[in-house]
Amino acid sequence: MRNKTPKLVTYMIGCYVTGIFPRPKELIETTRAYERKRVSEKLLEKALQEATVKVIEAQVSAGLSYVMDGMLKWQDLLRPFAESLEGLNVGSLARWFNNNTFYRKPVVLGAIRRTKNIAAEITYMELLPKSIPWKAVLPAPYTFAKLSENKFYKSEGELMFAYAEILNEEIKSLAEKGFKYIQLSDPALVWNPFEKPISKDTLAQVQEALKTALKGVKARTCLQAFFGDFSQILPEALEFPVNDLGIDLYETSLEKLKGYDFNKGVALGVVDARSSLVEDENELVQVAREIIEAIFPSKTRDVFICPNCDLEFLPWERAEEKLRIISSVAKRLKSEWNIHG
Amino acid sequence: MDKLFLTQEIGSLAKPAWRVKAYRGEPLTEKEIAEAVNWGLRLGIENIEELVKILTNRERTAEEKKMLLQWSARYAIRFFEAAGLDIVFDGEQWRSEMYEHVIRSVDGFKFLGYVKSFDYRYFNKAACIGKPKYIKPFYVEEFIFTKKSTKRIIKVPFTGPYTLVDWTFNEYYEKKAGSQIRDFKQRKASARRDFLFDLIKEVVRPEIGKLIEAGAEWIQIDEPAATTNPSAEEMQLFVEAFSETVKGFNCTFSLHNCYSNYEVLAKYASQLRNCSQLALEFANRDSRQTGLADEARTGYKELKFFEDYGFRGNYGLGVIDVHTDFIEPPELVRDRILHAVRVIGDPSRIYVSTDCGLRTRTWEVSFAKLKNMVLGAELARKALR
Repeated sequence: MRNKTPKLVTYMIGCYVTGIFPRPKELIETTRAYERKRVSEKLLEKALQEATVKVIEAQVSAGLSYVMDGMLKWQDLLRPFAESLEGLNVGSLARWFNNNTFYRKPVVLGAIRRTKNIAAEITYMELLPKSIPWKAVLPAPYTFAKLSENKFYKSEGELMFAYAEILNEEIKSLAEKGFKYIQLSDPALVWNPFEKPISKDTLAQVQEALKTALKGVKARTCLQAFFGDFSQILPEALEFPVNDLGIDLYETSLEKLKGYDFNKGVALGVVDARSSLVEDENELVQVAREIIEAIFPSKTRDVFICPNCDLEFLPWERAEEKLRIISSVAKRLKSEWNIHG
Repeated sequence: MDKLFLTQEIGSLAKPAWRVKAYRGEPLTEKEIAEAVNWGLRLGIENIEELVKILTNRERTAEEKKMLLQWSARYAIRFFEAAGLDIVFDGEQWRSEMYEHVIRSVDGFKFLGYVKSFDYRYFNKAACIGKPKYIKPFYVEEFIFTKKSTKRIIKVPFTGPYTLVDWTFNEYYEKKAGSQIRDFKQRKASARRDFLFDLIKEVVRPEIGKLIEAGAEWIQIDEPAATTNPSAEEMQLFVEAFSETVKGFNCTFSLHNCYSNYEVLAKYASQLRNCSQLALEFANRDSRQTGLADEARTGYKELKFFEDYGFRGNYGLGVIDVHTDFIEPPELVRDRILHAVRVIGDPSRIYVSTDCGLRTRTWEVSFAKLKNMVLGAELARKALR
């Protein structure tokens, strides 16, 4: 074997989750009792903390590369912003894309202004382990603007840029507190039920807004686009100023994806958080390998194995099982590549 | 000429505390028993003392529990009759809830637990883990009881297959499709289709058949999930599912859909085969000013879409908001109806309805709302004379 020098592996294969966790059963019970005014705010807070510990432990024991606090307090992706930013009100319920789940529309009534750290304040940082790098998830500029009811700014674009400025401060505050990975969730960018082509103009604007949001940020970043076909925003997305691109493989045509040469890392949503069926690990390893080989024809980049979207659509037990799948798929890919790579 | 503007409720009415607690086997307070008595007297229900006996018992036999269902159904039917509705049912008093009631009566499903709906609200979501199998009727007994208890027109609310599928995890079919279809997206779509049409064939149609055998003449298919996924592919699937559900039956069918995307539904409504009525909600988005002009009737804009896209069936026109305690005055109901007449042109295509089931309102509020709805319909009839 002396003449066979192993190739230098210049990329990593990691795994993480991509958003709001389902609430464990005990927490659900407490929140329901709280709704009926049967438990105090203090007890609710205690239940939230205990559940957060559980969510973190599940990630640690699954061996994820980054760990999140699980966002159990977040009623929806936009709520902390709708509640805390000046110029915004919390509006009425609206459907969360094509799910039987609802969010409250932020209503923009004036110039939006950030007066405090929003995500950092509701994240249980004190419960996050020191030994594993931390990940945070925030709404991306396009999704924020698209899902808000704009009664103030001249255009959705203007709102998007105003929010991008705020997001930049938010991200910097999180990076300062020690978060190493920032994911921007952007479902609205790819959810496209009427199949209208996404214009080059829109994508150019999105790129600009991301630039504003990520200016001077010292953390690894990802744009996670789910509930829609990622290939719609290619090749433009390859120019987005993020380290990684997150792809929902349950909405993306695999064949279309394979036609592109990715110059960035990818977060492959190979586990379906909207289905309770626990995936077949062998199949996922095979599919992930095929995609990786296809989208990195010249140079392989970093790969993260993850769920296609927030795990919140599942009951807790299933989410836990899916965590284990994510981690074992990543491990198997890693070992295969180290052997063959 | 036939009576115009027949009045109807959509389906559910709140379950009285005495029905819920007694059925669960919990003791009742005097106040709760008094409520049963008072409503009983008000509605002219006979032999209330028999109900009171069951309610005051410490323990209740299975037979008595069954009688409780009948009692609350009897109350609800009489409630609707007393309010003056032309078309009635039993307020879904036999059903725990529109989704669980069906899923628990069918083989092939397993409840996995609560998932988030919004905020601190959740719903108990099941997974399909085997081919759905019909084991027993789930609406028939309730229907027969209703039929015995009223002389008015009966409309049976029936949770639609598209909604049942949309609200259920699809493990069995996704697993089955796994070995055949490589692309995840295509696999899920194909599995969803198979689940839907199996459910229709194995469960929904057998139940409809039994209802018709028992004498049902009008079944309302409830499909709140109809535009959850507004893509052309999914909407076609929904249309196909409706047609397949009602195909070949000698019965009147209608569709109820609410808090949805009517721009999308309107495009497909005319393709629904054998759909005699679309029961739609509008009142919750409407102003409370009287008047027939578009400026007053802001909530009814979408009615025009259905007309423009060529729907020619009847409308169950939602004129009562089920999510507020505001009691719509008869004049407001009248103007909502007359506005719709202007849009549609033909008054005979309008049935007067609540936006949705009244289950979240108290009986007191529901009764006042329904009475005014009936009065409003009468005012509208007068105005057209």
